[in-house]
Amino acid sequence: MDALYQVTEVLLSEAKKLGADFAVCAVSESEKREFNVDGGRFSLMRTLFDRNVSLTVLREHRNGSVHVNRFDEEALKKAVAECMAACESAEPDEAWEFAKGPIDETFTDGTPECDTDKLFARTKELMEQISERHPKILMEQMITEHSAGRVIYRNTDGVCYRTLSGSYSFQLMYSAHEGEKSTSFFGSGVTLADLDKPIIECAFLERELTDIERQLDTQALEGKFIGTALLAPSALTEIVLDTMLGNFMTDGSLIDGTSIWKDKLNEQVADPRFSLSLTPRADYVVDGRRYTEEGYPAENCDLIRGGRLVSFALSQYGANKTGFQRAATDGWNLTVPAGDQSLDSIIAGIDRGILVMRFSGGSPAASGEFSGVAKNSFLIENGKIAGALTETMISGCVPDMLNQIRAISSDVLRDGFMSLPYMAFDGVTISGK
Amino acid sequence: MLHDFLSACKSGFDPQTHSELRAQLNRNRRVILLSGNVVGNDRSDISGVSARVYRSGTYGFSSMADCSEESARRVLSAATENAAFMDRHVPAGKGPIAPMPYKCRRQEGDIHDPAQNTYIEFAKALDDYVVKHCPNLVARRIVAMEDSMEKMLVTSDGMDAHAIYPRSYCYVMMTAQTPAGTPVDLFKAMGGAGTFDINFTDPAACYDEIDKLYARLMEKREGVYADAGRKTVILDGMMTGMLSHEAVGHTVEADLVLGGSVAGPCLHKRVASDLVTLTDFAHTAFGEPCPLPVYVDDEGTEAIDAPLIENGILTGYMNSRETAQHFGMKPTGNARAWLFSDEPLIRMRNTSVHPGKDKLEDMIASIDEGYYLIDSGNGQADTTGEFMFGVTMGYEIKHGKLGRALLDTTISGVAFEMLKTVDMVGDKVIWVSSGMCGKKQPMPVGMGGPALRCQVMIGGR
Repeated sequence: MDALYQVTEVLLSEAKKLGADFAVCAVSESEKREFNVDGGRFSLMRTLFDRNVSLTVLREHRNGSVHVNRFDEEALKKAVAECMAACESAEPDEAWEFAKGPIDETFTDGTPECDTDKLFARTKELMEQISERHPKILMEQMITEHSAGRVIYRNTDGVCYRTLSGSYSFQLMYSAHEGEKSTSFFGSGVTLADLDKPIIECAFLERELTDIERQLDTQALEGKFIGTALLAPSALTEIVLDTMLGNFMTDGSLIDGTSIWKDKLNEQVADPRFSLSLTPRADYVVDGRRYTEEGYPAENCDLIRGGRLVSFALSQYGANKTGFQRAATDGWNLTVPAGDQSLDSIIAGIDRGILVMRFSGGSPAASGEFSGVAKNSFLIENGKIAGALTETMISGCVPDMLNQIRAISSDVLRDGFMSLPYMAFDGVTISGK
Repeated sequence: MLHDFLSACKSGFDPQTHSELRAQLNRNRRVILLSGNVVGNDRSDISGVSARVYRSGTYGFSSMADCSEESARRVLSAATENAAFMDRHVPAGKGPIAPMPYKCRRQEGDIHDPAQNTYIEFAKALDDYVVKHCPNLVARRIVAMEDSMEKMLVTSDGMDAHAIYPRSYCYVMMTAQTPAGTPVDLFKAMGGAGTFDINFTDPAACYDEIDKLYARLMEKREGVYADAGRKTVILDGMMTGMLSHEAVGHTVEADLVLGGSVAGPCLHKRVASDLVTLTDFAHTAFGEPCPLPVYVDDEGTEAIDAPLIENGILTGYMNSRETAQHFGMKPTGNARAWLFSDEPLIRMRNTSVHPGKDKLEDMIASIDEGYYLIDSGNGQADTTGEFMFGVTMGYEIKHGKLGRALLDTTISGVAFEMLKTVDMVGDKVIWVSSGMCGKKQPMPVGMGGPALRCQVMIGGR
C-alpha cells in the first residue's frame, strides 16, 4: 500500500501546488488470471498486471480529469499539469461537489488471492459437465477469470478509502446445435467470492442451458396480438430496468429535463407490488461498491418502494443541478424483491403470451417506448409453453408496463451482481411474420 | 511516440512457439456539453506491453502496464509459461502455425495532441450555433472527442510494424418534443480518421450538417409510427453499412464460424441475390482510402481485402493466422487488439456492400407502399444471422414519393434470407466510422454501403 499511497501524495500535493482548490484521485494495481474457451475448446490463458491513476481537479468551480497508467513521478506530474490545463479551459460550474472528511476506511472484500489451479479445475469441470448434460450446447466463448486489485481513493478534503478485493467470474456465450439447426446465442454469467461448489450449480446456469437446448425447433408466429410478456431476469434488465434508470432516473435525463418522471417524485409510478433498490452492500453482491465516485460511503437505497418513486439515482453533481437528493450509491447492483408465485404458476395463468429470455432492440426512446426482437423466446398458450419462437418482435412502453404487472416470480436470479425475479407484464404487442 | 524497445527482446522467443510482442499507447480526449454544461472534460493515456505465444494449438498471453525492455521480457516469459500450462493440461495437439516471410513496415510520424481547450472551444462553438439556430429543442448534447492507437509490434515471423490510428469526431445530439409532449431525439457524428486539429479546423464546416439534423428532427417530431409487418424498404447507405457489419460481417468472422455461426454450412452457397457483393476492405476501397485504413494487423500479417460475398455467393471468411490455417484460407490481417492488455481477435476493418447502378430517386419511385430508412442508433445480430437495428430516422414511401417522417422503430430479419430479397442496389456508397464494435473488446471499425431495396420486418407500435 505504501507505494500506492506515495502516488496519491504526489498527485494531490502537485495539484495543490499548481493552484487546484480541490483534487481527488484513485490509484490502483490489479492482477487478472483468465482462461478462454472458444468454439468449444480451450484456447488461451492470460495473466495481466495493470495499474491505473485517475485524477480530477477543481479550480474556481472548473473541472478537469485525466487517466493514465504510469506511476513514475515525471508521468504523474505531467498528468497533473494536463489535468490543470483541462480544468482551466472548462466553464465554471458550482454544481461540482465531492465528499468531505474526515473519512479514513480500509476494506478487504471477496478473495484477493487467486487459486489458479482451482480456477482451471472448475473451468474444466464446467466444460465437461456441460458436454455430458447438455450435448447439444456449443460453447461459442467462455471466459473464466480471477480479478484482484488494491485501490487507494483520496481527496484533498480528508477522505481516504483503501480497498483490497478480488473475485472470480464465469461468463459464457453459447448456442445449441443439431445437424444444420442452431439456436440464437445466449449469455450466462456469475461472479463468485469462492469456488466452493461446481459452477453449473450457480445462478440459473443449469436452467438456462436446458432452455437453450429446447429452442432448436422453432416456429414463426403468425400475425400480431396484444398479450403477456414474461421477462426472464436478463430481459427484464434490458427492457425495463435499464430504460427506467437510463431514461428517467439518472443525471443525464434529469439535468436536460427529458425525464418523463421529473415531476413524479413521491408519486405512484408502478404497481404497488413492484419495488427497486440499489444494493451494493447486500450479502448476495460480491465485491460490491464501498464508496461512490464522489467519495461518499456507498449504501443500499430504495428507488421505488411499493410502486412509489422515492428516489432518483442521482450523483451529487446531478442533485445540485436538479435540486433533488443524491442517491446513496452510484453502483448498479439492482434488486427487485421476489413475488409470491412460482414461475410455473405464472405460466399456468397466461392465456396467450411470450416468455423472453433475451431482448435485442434499439435504444428505447426517451418516452420509454421500445421495440425489438424477442430472442431465445417461447410462445405461451393456454397456460403452457407451446414451443420456441423465431423472428418475433415485441413492442411496448415501459411506464405503461409498470402499471400492467401481472406477476412477479418467487424465484430470483442472484448472479453476484443483481437479484432479480421473472416478471410478467400485460399489454405488450407481440408480432410475427 | 513509442520507441522500439521490443526488437532487443526477440532473442527471448521460444523457437518451439510463434511469439508476438506488442507495445501500445491508447489516447482518448473527450469533452461533453450537456445543454451547455461541461459534464465531461477528460484526457486519458494508457500504455503498456504484451506478449502472446502460440504453442501446439493454444495461446498464452501476458501484459504489463509499463513500456520498458524489462517489462517486455517479463511478459514474454509469463506468456510462454501460460502457453506451456495450456499445452500441458489441455493439449490441442496441433502443429506449428504456418510461417510467414519477414517484412517490416514502420509508419513515420506522431499523433498530434491538441490542447484540451481545442476540444472545449470547438464544442462550445457548435453548442452556441445550436442554441441560436435550433430554437425548438428541449435538450442538446455536444461531444468532441478523439481516440487514437499507436502500436509497435515484433513477431517471431511475419511483419514487424509501427502503426498509428488516430480518429476524431464531434457528435451533436438533439431532443425535441412531439405535439403530445413525448421526447424524440436524433444525433449526427462528424469526423473520421485523423487528429482533432486536422479534422476540425472551422466550426462553420459543421453547420450545414447541424441544420439538416435539426430539420429532420422537426419532421420527426410530427412523425408517425411505422405499420408493423414485412415491408418493402430502401435501406440507405448507413443502414446497409450496419447490415454489412452486424448481420453478415460477424457471422463470417472465422472464430465465430468455429463457434457455430450460420456461415459454417453456407460457404460457397448462395446467401444473397446476385446483385450483392460484400468485402471487408483493409485500407483502400473503390479507389479511395477507407475511413479507418489498416495496413498490418497485430499478428504481423499484412492486411489485405477479405472478399466475403461475390455476386450473392458466400466465398470466404475473415481470418487470423490460426483460423486461416484451419480453413485452408489466406490470412487477411483481421486480428486486432484494442488495448495493450488485449489479445488480438478477428475484427472487421472497413466492411461494405459494393455499389450497384440504381439511382436513389428511381429506387424510391419504384415503391408503391413502403419505407425509406436512413439512420440507425444501434444494431445487434445473432450468429444465426438474425438481426435487429434500431431505426432513428426514416420516411414513409407512398406511391413512389416520400411521405411523413417516422418515429423510432426497429427492423429485423435473417441476413442470408433478407439479402436474397435485394433487387435494387444504389450507385453511391456511404461510409460511417464513428462507432465501436463490441466483441470481448471494443474496436473502431468502418462500415458502409449503397442504398438497397429489400424486404424486412419492421416493428410498429
